[in-house]
Amino acid sequence: MKFVFLKFILRIMMITLTMLPSFSIAGDKLTIYTVNYPLKYFAERIAGDYATVVFPAPADVDPAYWMPDRRAISEYQKADLILLNGAHYAKWTEKVTLPRFKMIDTSREFKDRYIKTKEAVTHNHGPGGKHAHENIAFTVWLDFDLAARQAQAIKIAVIRKRPDLESAFEHNYAALKKDLMTLDGETKEIVSKINGKPLIASHPVYDYLSQRYELNMRSVHWEPDERPGDAQWMELKNMLQGHHAQGMIWESQPLSETKEQLKSLGIISIIFDPCGAVPEQGDFLSVMRRNIENLRGAY
Amino acid sequence: MLDSLCIAWKYIKFNKIKSATLVGCITLLVFLPLSLELLLDKSEQQLMSRAVTTPLVVGEKGSALDLIMNSIYFGDEVPELITYEAAEEIIDTDLAMPIPLYIRFKARGFPVVGTTLDYFDFRGLSIAAGSSLAMLGECVIGASVAERLGLKPGDSLLSAPENLFDLAGVYPLKMKVAGVLQKSHTSDDLGVFVDLKTSWIIQGLMHGHQDVTKTKDRTVILKKTEGNVTANAKLFQYTEITEENMDSFHFHGDTSQYPITAVIAVPHDARSGTLLRGRYMSSETAYQIVKPEDVIEGLLQNIFRIKNVLDAVIVVVGLATVLAIVLVFTLSLRLRKREIQTIFKLGCRRATIARLLGAEILIVGVASGFVCGALVFVVKVFANDLVRGVFIR
Repeated sequence: MKFVFLKFILRIMMITLTMLPSFSIAGDKLTIYTVNYPLKYFAERIAGDYATVVFPAPADVDPAYWMPDRRAISEYQKADLILLNGAHYAKWTEKVTLPRFKMIDTSREFKDRYIKTKEAVTHNHGPGGKHAHENIAFTVWLDFDLAARQAQAIKIAVIRKRPDLESAFEHNYAALKKDLMTLDGETKEIVSKINGKPLIASHPVYDYLSQRYELNMRSVHWEPDERPGDAQWMELKNMLQGHHAQGMIWESQPLSETKEQLKSLGIISIIFDPCGAVPEQGDFLSVMRRNIENLRGAY
Repeated sequence: MLDSLCIAWKYIKFNKIKSATLVGCITLLVFLPLSLELLLDKSEQQLMSRAVTTPLVVGEKGSALDLIMNSIYFGDEVPELITYEAAEEIIDTDLAMPIPLYIRFKARGFPVVGTTLDYFDFRGLSIAAGSSLAMLGECVIGASVAERLGLKPGDSLLSAPENLFDLAGVYPLKMKVAGVLQKSHTSDDLGVFVDLKTSWIIQGLMHGHQDVTKTKDRTVILKKTEGNVTANAKLFQYTEITEENMDSFHFHGDTSQYPITAVIAVPHDARSGTLLRGRYMSSETAYQIVKPEDVIEGLLQNIFRIKNVLDAVIVVVGLATVLAIVLVFTLSLRLRKREIQTIFKLGCRRATIARLLGAEILIVGVASGFVCGALVFVVKVFANDLVRGVFIR
């Protein structure tokens, strides 16, 4: 009798064990991989606790030019969703094999609003005809309206994966959109005070910011942690002749020598971090708020 | 009865050649229709299972059979090309998952299948050795390809030029074997799978070379203006993709206009499938959408019409063989007339003589049954490979 009872208990345990995986799958979190920090932030805000969002690039590397190793590529391949920025950002995605159906180009819907930069030099050889390595500005998220549209693309993608959580995702997206639109409004307000005053960008990454908020901005190609050479100073001085800028926007704090030399030319340094990589402190919203405050402080 | 069987066995052993011929005739008579039936069933099963598990295929308007044979069984006949935009259009409909296919090139006689990673999930293919595709220029090979070419992960495989006499054509691409697929007993065993972009590299649409806008080697420059640099034929294009030269690989123009042969569309549900098919019904669209099951069913109907003719031939041949066997036994009885008379004179009854002959027929029949069973078993074991080698490809 005892033996029969033991067998019964064992059978119940086995049935329970076989059913366990199906329960865990139903409650499984989505795994989302992104190619930059803003997309990670948007995905985390929208999917909340229902997803694990991963952006595996090291913090000290510019994600736009990062190349993941084989292991990282394999992790991307296993994800439920891979969020791309589009606009030829993270060119490595064009050189590796990723599952197409899991890839979401978050800026595809506004492709027509991509900004082409003027640096491209075409080349041709053989029967293929002329082709250019066209440069497209990729920091689309600095236009907060476009950032909201990227967030919308993420929302649609996660709802498609988990339609049962639609209302939660919609609610989270609405809150994120509200925050982004607040940033948009604040930036517009500050820019109205700048009133078309010329600005210089230390790096050509502010095209969308400049276009959306109608900034009178021209770019040089300086690195914050490098001393500009004589040719670069000459280029700046030539630029200043027709573009009397009193402020230069930097991605991060420039060298104090550079800052001083700019000051002597009557140019103040303003930090506006594009926040492509994970910030050392705070999150996307707080970094952008700080950026806006920096702009406000300068004017 | 045992005595009769013993005497019959002695007789059969003594007349080895005659008995073996009889066993051979009966074996062939039974084995041929059985094995044919088995192989046809298997080929129907293989053709249909692959067709049934491929919901819809989108391709250029034209021969639906060519489209399906190329897309599903990697047939040699390349259908009219369409652009990658066709796959993007399916994504936009939000009705199905598109899996683009570009099956045009060969590598040492095996079809190079340019596709996306979604294909492996869709077909349930798993890696037996090595790893999945990760970088440009890598390939994953089917189990039969690995077996026949003796390849393993880490080896390399050259793509074959489309036309041997095209001296100005694209150089073959040296592909690195990243992994070998688990045997699936389908066309996938015979495929060399690459990323779609790698197949475009094989075609020369995407390529890598030194940066002509920065190079100091003036011998490769034909003409240089402020906005354009024209290189001459001396410009070396890489024929192998390595970590060092990968960055130099670039596309010509808009990838949405790049060629593919077909798109497998996997609808989210039955309703989505019907809606998607409806979109391609319009005469304005350049594409056709086909249900592989319908195309293969049509093909099988033709095959089975031929099979009916074969069956009739086998019946006639079988009848002739049975008559021949009856003749052999009748002649044998005549030849053994003296032997039978001796048995009769020894005091055996006619029934005993009939039992002796019956035992001989039984032994020949059982032996044929064994040989036939063994042959059918062998055919059954190798049916998948035989079907792939004889019937489908």
